[in-house]
Amino acid sequence: MFLNSLLIGAAASALPESHLIVHRLVAKTSLTSPPWPEVKLPDPVEEAKYHAEVVQKVNEMIATGQYGRLFAVVHFASKQWKITSEDLIMMDNVLEAECGDRIRMEKVLLVGADDFTLIGRPLLGKDLVRVEATVVEKTESWPKINMRFWKRHNYQRKKIIMNPQTVLRINTIEIFPCLS
Amino acid sequence: KPQWELPGPEHFRGRKNRCYKLAVRSVRRAFVKSTKARREKKRFLRALWITRIEAASLEHGLKYPAFISNLLKSQVELNRKMIADLAIYEPKTFKSLAALAQRRRQEGFLAALGDGKEPDGIFSRIVHHY
Repeated sequence: MFLNSLLIGAAASALPESHLIVHRLVAKTSLTSPPWPEVKLPDPVEEAKYHAEVVQKVNEMIATGQYGRLFAVVHFASKQWKITSEDLIMMDNVLEAECGDRIRMEKVLLVGADDFTLIGRPLLGKDLVRVEATVVEKTESWPKINMRFWKRHNYQRKKIIMNPQTVLRINTIEIFPCLS
Repeated sequence: KPQWELPGPEHFRGRKNRCYKLAVRSVRRAFVKSTKARREKKRFLRALWITRIEAASLEHGLKYPAFISNLLKSQVELNRKMIADLAIYEPKTFKSLAALAQRRRQEGFLAALGDGKEPDGIFSRIVHHY
């Protein structure tokens, strides 16, 4: 009833210009527009052109060798490492390779230089990156003490744990200009 | 009189580093605390990385849940330790990751809105009484 009377009042006062007022088909509630600000994505055709340009430029840069030091994010021994060349990495487990063996690390997640980064979804191709490492030494960790103790129950257990560790030296990270 | 003991408590405070009885108890407590702390360290470090990633993504105008969820939806599987290290040592890379997450977020919003039309068989109108 309240709404009816409002509209009647509005119609009576603004009747001459009623053909200029745009009547909404649906009422404006709190759910008509989403709570996030409206966003317009750029034109897909132009975007495709821009992407192709960028990819070509990066390919040229890689081919001419205009990058300095490369860093890579590698998934190795169930951990992710951020590595560069001449880096030392220590793993808390055994690797079935003798000291002095060269190892090629696949499962590269990210490669970057100063001006560009190549982000893998989730991994980068094997024909794009090559990470080489050498096994330097295989040792045991320092003796860690595992002790459990309950008070007033005469219960204590002591165990000395020494994990085998492997140390790797990252020799090189290379990228090849085969982007598309 | 000092009986046989491990060379453990030299850096402890007070009579724990001199008297055998007190030293035994404090060394035992130290071992137990270190074993428990080794399990807590993982939780603590993860919370630290999350705080760092949140701070870095706020600098680029994104909140942490939006950043992480959009990165995962775009199939980038970097873990939090790596993203925190990248945010510290490779700021340009982190900026590109934030831009990727923002773009994926906007695409998600557009996909959620759909056509903008109403479902079939339903219409809604305002009724004007004159």
